[in-house]
Amino acid sequence: MQADPWRQWQAFSALFTPPAPAGSARNGASSFAPFADLTERFNDAARAYLNGAANAPTPAVAAAARGFSESLRELFGDMPLPWNLGAGSADGGASPLSALHSPALGATRESQLRAQRITDAWRRVDEAQRRLQRLAADALREAAVAFAAKLAAAPPPAPSTEALHKLYGAWIDCAEDAYARAAHGEAFCSALAEYVNASSAWRNELQASIEHSAKLLDLPARSEINSLTQRLRAVEGELRGLREARRAKAKTPEPKAAKLKRARRKAKR
Amino acid sequence: MTPAATFAALAAANTGTTGCSERQVVWQSGKVKLYRYRPTARPAASAPLLIVYALVNRPYMMDLQEDRSLIRGLLSEGLDVYLIDWGYPDGADRFTTLADYIDEHLAGCVEQVLQAHRLSDLNMLGVCQGGVLSLCFSALYPQRVKNLITMVTPVDFHSPADLLSKWARHIDVAAFVGAGNVSGDVLNQLFLSLMPFRLTQQKYVDLVAEPPDRAGLENFMRVEQWIFDSPDQAGAAFREFVTWFYQENRLAQNRLEIAGRKVDLHSLRLPILNLIGKRDHLVPPAASLALRGLVGSKDYTALEFDLGHIGMYISARAQHEVPASIAKWLASR
Repeated sequence: MQADPWRQWQAFSALFTPPAPAGSARNGASSFAPFADLTERFNDAARAYLNGAANAPTPAVAAAARGFSESLRELFGDMPLPWNLGAGSADGGASPLSALHSPALGATRESQLRAQRITDAWRRVDEAQRRLQRLAADALREAAVAFAAKLAAAPPPAPSTEALHKLYGAWIDCAEDAYARAAHGEAFCSALAEYVNASSAWRNELQASIEHSAKLLDLPARSEINSLTQRLRAVEGELRGLREARRAKAKTPEPKAAKLKRARRKAKR
Repeated sequence: MTPAATFAALAAANTGTTGCSERQVVWQSGKVKLYRYRPTARPAASAPLLIVYALVNRPYMMDLQEDRSLIRGLLSEGLDVYLIDWGYPDGADRFTTLADYIDEHLAGCVEQVLQAHRLSDLNMLGVCQGGVLSLCFSALYPQRVKNLITMVTPVDFHSPADLLSKWARHIDVAAFVGAGNVSGDVLNQLFLSLMPFRLTQQKYVDLVAEPPDRAGLENFMRVEQWIFDSPDQAGAAFREFVTWFYQENRLAQNRLEIAGRKVDLHSLRLPILNLIGKRDHLVPPAASLALRGLVGSKDYTALEFDLGHIGMYISARAQHEVPASIAKWLASR
């Protein structure tokens, strides 16, 4: 088990993530494949649009643009966004740890409560992820509309590698613009905060639960090490203070009276 | 180049760089190292320049490769360059505070440089979050800093375009940090979320669509390495930084205290050069430009470059413009 609780959390989250298809970004050896695949799929959609729009009457060009935009929205809707660590993991409280609303009774009451809190936190994480995904999907829909309008505003270019690349760049611009509008909005900010806060609650409860088990086995727990670290810091601080005081004293010239007193004492001896 | 060939070239380009210029460690305290770079030109008539990098990410971005190195540019201008490397905090550093970073580590590096040169003050270049630390240090130890340069440095954390700040405001930072450190991997997810389509898709698709030459691929991989070479953040310092700066905007509101001492930007009277990236998505220009109205310096200059956050260090244009601007500004003071 890794020491860092966040890493533990990430590793644990990964257990709930559906296995990635072969050749996807999650497979280290084929990490490049999804981007090559995305390029191909984009190119296919763009070629279809360019062929459909070439020398076509205006309504047909607009329809082709809308079709192209919609296909991009779907293509990018599948993209796993950075917060999407464990989407689809929870299913409304049916997880093995559930019994969320059962009364906690008996000798294991505390453990039952903690398990309920862990389950509840995970449910909140999942809900927040879904809210974020919904907001991202809305942004993509908005991007698709803007992209279609952009395409309709100018005659379609002749098919070429450069034209495809430019179309891709224009689509990304639309997607980022729409995403930025959403990301600055209150709904997104509160969903993201809920995602982080629920994740923190989940991790902290899990950590407390693991610590409890560790103590039963007389294994050192993180809180004990933290306590020792803080004591050590306090000792270091005290030592530093003493050193600084000694250094300051050495720099300060001795007052004349004290010098005389010391000399007299020495003479007496 | 086919995708397979690009893939193979990228795999071969995994260089593991930590900087390209000759340097030596001149001081070390725990995980913090102070480097001095070997001069490459006739010395300019100015005090040594201490670069204070951010705690997030690694400082070798300032010296990524021979033709993309802010440090090389500064050396070629005759500047005597020092750089602080904060290291990789681990579990033992979880209680390290901002006061520890400023009063111990940063102050320790400054004292070392001053002693080595028998000077009473030096020039300081703070980069991004390092600029915030530099402003705090300059306000707390005004006799130690002769000229201050801030680069892509946030000052007003509540400017309207600051997305990170908007996201951070509703987060329970104490619960997020707990009693531990904050994983660099988790922070990376956050940074990627700022522009997910560009940062997790477009830049890789562009590689397939229009692969650069071998040198371009190596450059890409160095930047890629740097982006994801993210140290964990010391928990206490991170909690303070997010709460005090991002959530409460104390620096701009003149309410910041470090270890019980007020950080009063109005008290700053030293010459200040503020370097800003007009296309910076992490630190919006308005967040940096606010510095003008907050400091007491009469000698204040702001230079805006048509560059993004990372472009300010490594773009070809930055190599021509940024070090020369710094050297010229320092030479006239």
